[in-house]
Amino acid sequence: MAKSFEPGEPIWCAGCGHFGVQNAVVAALAKLEIPSHETLIISGIGCSGTLQNNVSAYGYHALHGRLLPTATGAHLANRDLTVIASGGDGDGYAIGMGHLVHAFRRNPSFVYVLMNNGTYGLTKGQDSPTAEESADGEEAGLDGIALGVSLQTTTFLARGYSGNPAQLAKLMIAALKHSRERRGFSFLEVLSPCVTYNDTYSNWAGRILNVDDDLNYDRGSHIEAFKKISMARETRKILTGLIFEREVAAFTTVSPPALIDVNVKKHLSDYQNLLERYVV
Amino acid sequence: MGTPELKTDINMMVAGQGGDGSLTVISIFSELLTQHGYNLFIARDVASRIKGGYAGAILRGSLKWRSCIGDSIDVLLAFDNEALEKASPMLSEFGVVIFDASDGAANRSNLTDNVKVFEVPFGRYAVRELRRDIFKNSLSFALLARIFGVENDQAIACLKHVMRRLPENVIQTNINSFCLGLEIADEFGLHQDEALFRLKKAERKNKILIGGNEALAFGFMVAGGRFYCGYPITPATEILEWLISHLPDFGGVALQAEDELAAVNMAIGAALTGTRAMTATSSPGFALMLEGISQAGSAEIPLVIVNSQRAGPSTGMPTKPEQSDIGMIVNGGNGEFSRIVLAPGGPSDCFHAGVIATNLSQKIQGPVIIAIDQAIAQDSRTVDKFDLEAVTVDDGKRLNEEDLARIQEYKRYAITEDGVSPWSVPGTPDGMTLVTGNERNEWGLVSTDPVNRLAMMSKRARKIESVMADLPRGRKWGDENALIGFIGIGMATGLIAETVERLESLGISSKALQPRTLWPVLDETLEFIESCRSVYVVEQNMEGQLKQLLMSQGAPAQNLIGFRRYDGVPPSVGNLVDEIISQLDNHIEPECSSEDRAHG
Repeated sequence: MAKSFEPGEPIWCAGCGHFGVQNAVVAALAKLEIPSHETLIISGIGCSGTLQNNVSAYGYHALHGRLLPTATGAHLANRDLTVIASGGDGDGYAIGMGHLVHAFRRNPSFVYVLMNNGTYGLTKGQDSPTAEESADGEEAGLDGIALGVSLQTTTFLARGYSGNPAQLAKLMIAALKHSRERRGFSFLEVLSPCVTYNDTYSNWAGRILNVDDDLNYDRGSHIEAFKKISMARETRKILTGLIFEREVAAFTTVSPPALIDVNVKKHLSDYQNLLERYVV
Repeated sequence: MGTPELKTDINMMVAGQGGDGSLTVISIFSELLTQHGYNLFIARDVASRIKGGYAGAILRGSLKWRSCIGDSIDVLLAFDNEALEKASPMLSEFGVVIFDASDGAANRSNLTDNVKVFEVPFGRYAVRELRRDIFKNSLSFALLARIFGVENDQAIACLKHVMRRLPENVIQTNINSFCLGLEIADEFGLHQDEALFRLKKAERKNKILIGGNEALAFGFMVAGGRFYCGYPITPATEILEWLISHLPDFGGVALQAEDELAAVNMAIGAALTGTRAMTATSSPGFALMLEGISQAGSAEIPLVIVNSQRAGPSTGMPTKPEQSDIGMIVNGGNGEFSRIVLAPGGPSDCFHAGVIATNLSQKIQGPVIIAIDQAIAQDSRTVDKFDLEAVTVDDGKRLNEEDLARIQEYKRYAITEDGVSPWSVPGTPDGMTLVTGNERNEWGLVSTDPVNRLAMMSKRARKIESVMADLPRGRKWGDENALIGFIGIGMATGLIAETVERLESLGISSKALQPRTLWPVLDETLEFIESCRSVYVVEQNMEGQLKQLLMSQGAPAQNLIGFRRYDGVPPSVGNLVDEIISQLDNHIEPECSSEDRAHG
């Protein structure tokens, strides 16, 4: 057996929320007994974009903002893989925002973990689209979960918090199950504070409203979800938990193109029949 | 009337408004020419509109192999005055015009006295007698049949053949329409046995008629291509449509992305899993894809990218051909990375480029670009059937589970002699790797160590050397001892080949080279240039990008003369021949000419 790369040590600052995310990913993969070689972690650019270096799995470091198209391509090419896209809020909500809408629209079966800290840590603290306060003090943060609810084909929306590892672990497992059962795109946003440039632990901890505590909540209803999100917003709360889950046909393939035999001889007569259509 | 003129090389144009169905007449006449053993070349001339707007198509039928439009149009079928005005400068001195006079008389102000014009209100006849304007196509074909002295039975057989997939009643109405057309022909003085032209009867050849985009997509698929992603853009959209239609039948995936950034990255995602992947676009879309192409170069991901060039800059002229991305294709993308650029010059080349690019991308684990232009992409012509059995699928250095079990260490970016590192794809046990566009060490871990950096840059650069023998060699025409040469790629291919032949008939010896590998520039290309006293570099751009590329690789500047056009119109063989003759007549020694001949 060949020795492959040794998963490395995280480069994050002590206390970074991303440690919690990594722990949840590793624990969920172990819990579901997903073999390392069948896991592909596609990460973005930024502090969060180093997670793949620390986990025993196939890892790919994608271009900034292009996580979702890359993961979509990988999933469609080999649906047998467990694909986890992991990136930050700058990657997913700023430069890559356009692709998020289309991932909701297509509903491909992979997991997207978005680590939201409201800042660009690697470039030393510029505002991200989820930075809560604008210059005039009004709330300006973008809510990817609310966006997800607005699309008819969204099937899984959850928000976790690094400060609540037990809930985060559960959500990570639920997300992986959803996608591995080919029910579609699992979007898990994680509140993952940046202790250096935007330390929101104390701010967020006091404002969390966990929908998992509400036993009467119908997470399959667009109306209920919007209501919940709007009420939380009006009371300056941040919704966490499994916020939305629904069954819609997933965007997947009948068989993985990566695994089919492409030998010319195998398909020769069909190729020839196709060529005959052009004979004049 | 005298004896009809024998036409072994005929240029016919059908033009009108988009939606007039010009292509139907072209298809029917194509069948007629094919039955006579003629080779076909069909070029479209359309505006970028959904329906309506000037649209035309030119059909060249020739007993010889021809791959560009002839110097002038012999027969023009114009459905309105706009079409007549657009086409009249191309009309031959003794040309024939069939004009649809439904909306008034033909404007003859641009026509010479020797041009014959038949003004017939097809549209009105079609609507009055057949209740549908579209039947003017089969109706006008009757006049064409008379002009070429075609027997009615044979003409009807052509109609039936082209319409064979349509419902029986539609075919019958078209035949009725054709018969009505014959009556009209009599009325307008085009009688049976009084043809203006005649065709030579040669043996029907068992060839295919196909466009460059379709041929390229076909090649990609036969070479095992199973993932395609694109964003609609003229003139590359046919590749997307063709693969969406056919790839799923062979277990593949073809999809439309939300933009070019998504398209190239989806293809990268698929390629990571070992699936042979391709994306295609046109010039401005290629600019958007460059970051992804650089990523494929850096991270060492096999990827095929097609740039079907159109006239720029920016959104430019979407339906017009140009070769003004040569610099971007060869040098574009941030940083320095190995790439291969193929330049097919017709449907057969496009098929082979699709095959070779797919295999080469696997062998070098990097980007292979196919550079074509609107004319190569969208013009169709008859070519020999593709040799499907000759195609092989090459995976390059791929490691499977057994291979991995035999080795001690598996480093994704291992430094090797040829620069290519064996790789395993996700799903392979014990083959876990890190793939990244960052500089990294052999394990795939990010590294900025200077020694490692130099080793990695050198490793990636070496990869091209290892596949030099696989790169397609150029096509050559003419007398190898000639001192006048022509070099051109893509849309210039048919032009330079025919120019050599035309010059020979005028007693001037010359030769032509179509390099089929644009990058790296092959030694044979430089040797060709050195073997000539003067080489005309024929290209569709203003700045002479191909010429500059050749010079940058050591071609002596004093041997090169630029012949360029960038008005959206391909030059004709006549243009090029006239240029040569005028230089010879004026005793301008071509090798002394320091100024390029740029034709705006």
